[in-house]
Amino acid sequence: MLSRIFRRTFLILAFLISAGMVQASEVTAQVAAEAAAEPMILTTTATGIGIDAAVDALNRAIVNHNYTFVRQQAMDSRLVPYAQEVRSVRLVYFCNFTKMDRALRIDPRATQVLPCRVTLVETPTGVDLIAVNPAWVTQNMPGLHAECQEMKRDYLAILEEAAL
Amino acid sequence: MKRRALLLAVALGLNFALALPGHADPLMVNKLVDMRRAMDDVALAAANHDLVLVKVQPIDTALAKRGFDNPHMRLLFIGSESAVRWAEAAEPRLLNLLPLRLTLIERDGGVTLMSDDFGPWLREFSEPPAHLMVEAWQAEMKAMLDDFVAQ
Repeated sequence: MLSRIFRRTFLILAFLISAGMVQASEVTAQVAAEAAAEPMILTTTATGIGIDAAVDALNRAIVNHNYTFVRQQAMDSRLVPYAQEVRSVRLVYFCNFTKMDRALRIDPRATQVLPCRVTLVETPTGVDLIAVNPAWVTQNMPGLHAECQEMKRDYLAILEEAAL
Repeated sequence: MKRRALLLAVALGLNFALALPGHADPLMVNKLVDMRRAMDDVALAAANHDLVLVKVQPIDTALAKRGFDNPHMRLLFIGSESAVRWAEAAEPRLLNLLPLRLTLIERDGGVTLMSDDFGPWLREFSEPPAHLMVEAWQAEMKAMLDDFVAQ
């Protein structure tokens, strides 16, 4: 009799635990589906201006959104002599140190999206501003994903303002 | 009873495994040296593979001098002109991965050197030539990390 009760209790408990895990699995699948919908690139175009004006506009937008300018460089900086650097592709790095500190405390792999970066490419009609979507990079890092979705919103706001 | 319990345990184990999220897999090596020596060894290893140390980003001191805890981490950016030119010609979106980033983490008397995770890039660019290019960069990075350990 006792053995029968024990067996039933065990089966009920196993069923409940299993149901809970299936639910967790569904939540994980939902998170994965949302992450899969993330585009790799965030981009905008500043039309009718040159690359120097675009860099200035980007720097103003960075400061307006509580980020700090870190540095800018040519795409091939230090890979070729200075005089031969391609001037039409520029990298601008920036950072919000509070957000950096928070992200690194969550997961050291946050360095994969740090510091923030926008690549500027001069075209005949203007300048393309391109950033890798941090929410795309962290699609398999659940702990960082929420933080990086906030960072993605910041990127979009900065890119939009810089292109105005 | 024992068999049923065993089957249930296996089923639960599988269920749990399926519920775990996918993990990102950056390349990673460890070495028992301090940060200063590690930086020198990375520069040497990079040079051995025709890579240039483009920039060191000391986020440890940057955060510490602003009153945050020192994370004991530094970012290093390495690259080569050929990688930039290949990306420009074959798939300009790959320029966003260059220069390649490494993270140095100082812990317990040693350092961990970690690359970015190439997985999302390989999945995004599933066709040649971009896929082959990312694979080549990943292989180069792995060889460089092994060289770093051997320095």
